[in-house]
Amino acid sequence: MNELRHGHDWALGALYGLFTSATHDASAAMCRWTNGLITVTLDQVREIALETVSAELEIGDELLTMVVLTIGGEVGGNLILLFDEINGRQLAASLLGSAPGTEPEWSDLEKSALTETGNILGCAYINAITRLIGTDLMPSAPYFIQDYGASVVQQAVMTQALTSDRLLLCQVGFRRKDEQLDWRVVFVPTQGMQEAMQRSLHAAS
Amino acid sequence: MNTSTTSTPAKEILVGMGQIAAGQAPQRMRAILGSCIGVALYHPGRKTGIMAHVVLPNSAGRDGAPGKFADTAVPQMLAVLREQGMPTYGLTAKLAGGANMFNGCGPLQIGNANAEAVAAALKKAGIRVAGQDLGGTCGRRVDFDCTSGQMTVQCAGQPARTL
Repeated sequence: MNELRHGHDWALGALYGLFTSATHDASAAMCRWTNGLITVTLDQVREIALETVSAELEIGDELLTMVVLTIGGEVGGNLILLFDEINGRQLAASLLGSAPGTEPEWSDLEKSALTETGNILGCAYINAITRLIGTDLMPSAPYFIQDYGASVVQQAVMTQALTSDRLLLCQVGFRRKDEQLDWRVVFVPTQGMQEAMQRSLHAAS
Repeated sequence: MNTSTTSTPAKEILVGMGQIAAGQAPQRMRAILGSCIGVALYHPGRKTGIMAHVVLPNSAGRDGAPGKFADTAVPQMLAVLREQGMPTYGLTAKLAGGANMFNGCGPLQIGNANAEAVAAALKKAGIRVAGQDLGGTCGRRVDFDCTSGQMTVQCAGQPARTL
């Protein structure tokens, strides 16, 4: 890891390049899934201090709707798709071709539309990483969760917290035509995945 | 050992992952918890509290923010109180968190281990646990009131519980 730390800026830049390419694939998949409605852009790839994760992601104590995809194992990570209630319901409605739901409980169809969205996005990123590192990655089925955003992010960063006080985060934004949407994707790779990606990027450079 | 300790005059202090924060009446301390544990020590006579947001059970000798690990957080909280001239006898503890998020089937389910490690550290320090709300599969918002010593625990979509 020390060698990798020496090339820290290089590594972040290289990871940014990887995730830009992966986000391009994710955007194409999302565009097909939403009939051209939604595109995806990479906001940033950065390293932050563990204790600042909620503040950096601007996640307070609000309840959020989330879809979580986990890649198990040492070379793994977590991908979280976060929405507020209104935006999540609007996405589900646009995918289902119906009006946004008004019942407090989400219907199974609404949940299914969102989890499939998480699946499509997650697979685009996982495919890009698999092509780079040459290792098959096994994602979980996506989970649908309504909870405090900070609680879920906390669980997602736990594996990184085992080995470091700093976290690598990849953040993605969404656009509907010219409108920036308040949806976010956070990808948190494990230390093992970070090292595998950095080794592969180094070998390819 | 690095410290990650804050003590500010703000009315509400947000305690982030791995942090320790001390406060006095009328201050309140808040943490959002998943598998982490929010542990608050309180001295009723001085109306002073201190909260740690514990992330992992055991430091295993690692350097890092002492509030991050159960085995280093409790001794560090006592050290901060001593530095502030507070007696460390007569303290009580309240704790919350330790959920196994993602319905217990996600990555690194460490909530139970965190809860057990914090309880062991408090026992070792001779501090009585006056209230706790631990486990489950949901996140918690925790507010600790330095005036009353009450900890209010709000699980998503459920009524608040006062410890």
